Amino acid sequence: MPLLDLGAAIAIGLAYFTIIYLTGLGGLFSERSGIVNIGLEGLMIVGTVMGAWGAIHWGPFVGLAVGALSGLVFSLVHAVATVTFRVDHIVSGVVINVVAFGIARFLSQLFFQSSTQSTSGVPNFDAIDIPLLSSLPAGLGRAFQDMSPITPIAFVLVVPVIFILTRTRFGLRLRSAGENPEATRTLGVRVAPLRYAGVALSGTLAGLAGAFLSIEVNALYQEGQTQGLGFIALAALILGNWSPTRLMIGALLFGFAQAVPLRLGDAPIIGALPDQFVRMIPYVVTIIAIAGFVGRVHPPAAAGKAYEGAGGT
Amino acid sequence: MAAARVRPPWVDTLVVQLLAVAGAFLFAAAIGGVIIVLYGENPFFVYSTLWQFATARLSDFARVLESATPLIFSALAVAVAFKCGLFNIGVEGQYIVGMMTATMAAVWLDLPAPIHLPLVVLAAVAGSMVWAFVPAILKVKTGAHEVVTTIMMNGIASSLVAWALLNLLRTQESGLVDLRSDRFSESAIIPALAPSLGLEDQIPSSAHLTWFFPLALLACVVVWFLLYRTRLGYEARAVGSSPGSAEAGGASIGGTQLKMFLISGALAGFVGLNHLLGDAGFLGVNYETTLGFTGIAVAFLGRNHPAGIVLAAILFGILFRGEDGIAVATDLPREITIIIEGLLILSVVVAYEIARRILLRRRREAPAEQSVPQMQQGSVGATP
Repeated sequence: MPLLDLGAAIAIGLAYFTIIYLTGLGGLFSERSGIVNIGLEGLMIVGTVMGAWGAIHWGPFVGLAVGALSGLVFSLVHAVATVTFRVDHIVSGVVINVVAFGIARFLSQLFFQSSTQSTSGVPNFDAIDIPLLSSLPAGLGRAFQDMSPITPIAFVLVVPVIFILTRTRFGLRLRSAGENPEATRTLGVRVAPLRYAGVALSGTLAGLAGAFLSIEVNALYQEGQTQGLGFIALAALILGNWSPTRLMIGALLFGFAQAVPLRLGDAPIIGALPDQFVRMIPYVVTIIAIAGFVGRVHPPAAAGKAYEGAGGT
Repeated sequence: MAAARVRPPWVDTLVVQLLAVAGAFLFAAAIGGVIIVLYGENPFFVYSTLWQFATARLSDFARVLESATPLIFSALAVAVAFKCGLFNIGVEGQYIVGMMTATMAAVWLDLPAPIHLPLVVLAAVAGSMVWAFVPAILKVKTGAHEVVTTIMMNGIASSLVAWALLNLLRTQESGLVDLRSDRFSESAIIPALAPSLGLEDQIPSSAHLTWFFPLALLACVVVWFLLYRTRLGYEARAVGSSPGSAEAGGASIGGTQLKMFLISGALAGFVGLNHLLGDAGFLGVNYETTLGFTGIAVAFLGRNHPAGIVLAAILFGILFRGEDGIAVATDLPREITIIIEGLLILSVVVAYEIARRILLRRRREAPAEQSVPQMQQGSVGATP
């Protein structure tokens, strides 16, 4: 039943898409405001452990909220370091990742009496079937059955995100802070609060994605369960040229690359390719893209640079 | 304030930076102390227990140095790249590829000891350098940012090593549940340090303090010499602080960065070896990871200077070994040391930045003839 396998692979791919897309959107807000955030992985890790804890005690909704909130709070460390103290963005991002690993161990010990995992069966939302799509023939409908309700929300999220970025005062100012902070300030708009907001949004979304992973996907917190998905989200963001729609395509691509080894290992052609090489695809594609061999990527002009504007920046 | 002006600028720099470190330590210890108090323990008792456990006996300190060994190498690798304005986030991937190539040399070659061990080490260095070469050449030729490419190379490396372990290197020994390579022959194993020093009574063989530790110290001296006493090092620091003037001064930016990044990769090759050749004696699935990332933290803490790196690595070793003391003597989770580590890195990073700004301001205010051009850390934004 290869098509049934394909349906199941798509279902897993969509779950991974949700994680990569939410985290990538977070990175998008941060980098569009001018703050490079390679700490997405760490923010996500904090979301996994806090989210699982919240869900165990108060159910999945609170779990996701706790995960998002903890990501927000933790990301403020990055904001304080890079915006207020003007620490190098990469330095701070690395520190966020290193520290997150320790915090997760500490919290896991505190919450679950084990430094590496929670008990399984973290409560999650009732799965839903997508109308029409779930009745697709030949096993393909399987892809849209038993889906977490968060996944369709992630898909729809692109609309408000584009609206915010292109149609609201906040979005336009956020982007101007990332492209030309000096011009932003000349217009009487303070750069620092915008960048704080961008980083806080990245923390919220990465934390939410982490909580989604531990609550909705695995129903378990486990050390290392993010498997570098934060870095893959970064890759999708670069490949998506910092645009919400193109990021979506990148996230779909990389989400399916994650799912293929899990469900399509026996399919023809793919079966001949070792799992490990399939897992390399997102990274290889990103290197090729960033080296300029296909197309060009244009990061926000001022991303990664400390803004030294005088006075009330 | 005429007296203050007479001080040479480097004294000023040193004083301000030492104050910054001291401040960061106090801040981290204080916040850590608050967490400990919330747990109902006495922070002074916890800190002294931690220190006691890590340093009281020679065997404990040997374990501290064992933990410090790979961190010295990985922090040196980060520092060498950092000095010329490059960020090697890829030490992680480079050293696990190095472990893979070292394992190949250890398992596939059958040679007498004096030749086998150096060849295994060489294989690790070569593997790591190949992994560093890709982002380096892409940076120089296409401008692809090394932070992004090295992160991606890390992802590729872990899949590659997993594949090699499953296919090329998987042991043929029967009845094994664990996935691992063949055991290395004695000729590929690094000797422990204690017997050579006549200390085997005090340092048990369970502390895997090997000749890689003195080698790490030697590497520090070599790196210091390279950075501060050779033409390449001078050019690298010039490129790192001001690419434009370095080029005007005759240094080739691309060539210098390529060379330094390869040296960084070579150093990364040593990171996994103490574990591989001094402890495990085979490559297993559960090989030590995150040493590359921790090395970045150690490099920050040590101000990217070889001497600072040794001290920072030993400090991390003490925190790592002191965990056991905390687990035995208190009700705290042992992970509190990781929290303290994190607090320390965060506050040190911020404190150094503040110190840098204070020094910069002072230098601007100082008379022009005294404003000596000063090496600055290259920020990512500053490198094209």
